[in-house]
Amino acid sequence: MTAMQDMLNDPVANFALSIADDLLMLGHVQGDWTGIGPILEEDIASSSMSQDDLSHALMLFEHLGNRFGLDADVIAYERSPEDYRCCDLVTVPDEFDWAVALTRRWFVAHWAAPALERLGTSDDDELNERCRRLRSEQGLHLSYLDDWMRRLGAGEGHDRMQAAMTSLAPQACMLFELPTGLDDEDHRSRRDEIFEAWSRATTAVLTDAGFSVDLTMPSEEHIGGRRGAHAKHFVEQHTEMNEVRCEDPGASW
Amino acid sequence: MSGAANPVMPIDPCQEDPEKLAEFEANIANGVLIEPGDWMPEAYRVGMLRMSEHHANSEIVGALPEGEWITRAPSLRRKLALTAKVQDEVGHGQMLYRVSQDLGKSREDMLRDLCTGKTKYHNCFNYPAPTWADIAMIQWLIDGAAIMNQKTLADGAYGPYVRTMHRINMEEAFHFKSGEDMVLTLMSGTKKQKQMTQEAFDRWWGPSIMFFGPPDKPGCEDMPPMRWRMKIETNDSLRQRFVNRFAPAARDLGLVVHVCEKNEEGFVTQKQVDELCTPDEDGNWGFTTPNWDEFFKVIRGNGPCNAHRLALRRFSYEQGAWVRRAIASGDTTLPPAA
Repeated sequence: MTAMQDMLNDPVANFALSIADDLLMLGHVQGDWTGIGPILEEDIASSSMSQDDLSHALMLFEHLGNRFGLDADVIAYERSPEDYRCCDLVTVPDEFDWAVALTRRWFVAHWAAPALERLGTSDDDELNERCRRLRSEQGLHLSYLDDWMRRLGAGEGHDRMQAAMTSLAPQACMLFELPTGLDDEDHRSRRDEIFEAWSRATTAVLTDAGFSVDLTMPSEEHIGGRRGAHAKHFVEQHTEMNEVRCEDPGASW
Repeated sequence: MSGAANPVMPIDPCQEDPEKLAEFEANIANGVLIEPGDWMPEAYRVGMLRMSEHHANSEIVGALPEGEWITRAPSLRRKLALTAKVQDEVGHGQMLYRVSQDLGKSREDMLRDLCTGKTKYHNCFNYPAPTWADIAMIQWLIDGAAIMNQKTLADGAYGPYVRTMHRINMEEAFHFKSGEDMVLTLMSGTKKQKQMTQEAFDRWWGPSIMFFGPPDKPGCEDMPPMRWRMKIETNDSLRQRFVNRFAPAARDLGLVVHVCEKNEEGFVTQKQVDELCTPDEDGNWGFTTPNWDEFFKVIRGNGPCNAHRLALRRFSYEQGAWVRRAIASGDTTLPPAA
């Protein structure tokens, strides 16, 4: 069995991958906005959050790399699409609609905070310490994004944001699809706790901002990416991410 | 990333109060920095505004060719570095628009004028960047040229612009290091990577030589832009310094300086080794005179990527209009069709 397969068969690694892959692909797709954000200051802030997301993914990949003897970039880039544990919400096309991009990021940030808190209670002190550091920075994203939600709840922003939320909510709930290898009672119960925290925190902001969205736990038959069955848009992003590496496989860049 | 425009004096400084003008010029000669609230000739204010606005435009348009490669960056560290780099360019634009605002033009007007083609940005961003090696070349050659130019501008006389240059140059030094590391990695890599790098170098050497603007006119040192320390060094002396720094560095890396002919899309169709690119007894490296017809053609808006870059800026401006309307009370109507 290869090191990669060992990692993919490990329950804690799968949970860590579900967070790391979300942050990797979110940082990746939000990179499209760097340089063309709606306001210069917001362009800069969005790029900072992308860098945080990519760095946080890297920190988790480095941990897994150390544990399983793999290179972090190999984990990030070279798995087959079915071995990525991210939710397809993170790569859903935004068609350069800032309302969709902001809402997508906001849903994920609210998932990442409690998920990292849960991952940080593992038996591995080194992993727990990494999660602690990541949580504090993701917490900054949360307060920043919550403020934007409230600011855009009034006036012209409201209808656009409401439309983005209504369209993304079903996919956002798929953040709670159990990743491959974690389909047991213990993980189900932990997942339910995170869902409770997520839906409580998001609903509080939505109520404040005057939005209305139905957030319900997905049933087993719904597929959202975490079990390796990904939407076409994820595969397209994965291909784009690997475009340069594939030009000369094995080369150092 | 970008150096500033060559300032143009649209107003005759002789119309100014001679006493105030003499005091202003004495202050500049004595190294006193001019601040926004100080008296200044109208020609100086307008010239500084044009220069600063052009520089700001160049920063945010310059973010576009590299920004398009963030999603394709071949490692997490390169992806992070490129995101940070492009973010810096947007930040430079933001700072320079603030400097320009103090000189009397609103940011909204500046962004609209950029979108409609009323104002310009640096020529070098109208060339294509079709490979990852082009991103390395932009960071190495274009950022290298920008640092060379901006280091002299940081010795200018307008306080806000000078302070902004100091800050920008600090960040540009990181960009240059990143570009140098990318070029070194590629030139230490596989045969395919080296070929890709040489081809990118061929595309960017010409625009780098033209980066500093057209040849100087006789007597330019005595004209207001240099007398008032808006511009510190001549185009030709900066160009020579650039070639002296980068021609030997390219050779040491295994790159060959070519004289290239390009098609309308900016791709090289013919090339030959630049036989003039050797040092003379004073250490000055020779170079073949760039095609200045090409330079002026691109300035007039007919370069390989002018339309693409402007369209993307306009798209960004239009797509973001509702966000600005939602949070601000300023005039955010869409610009007229270009």
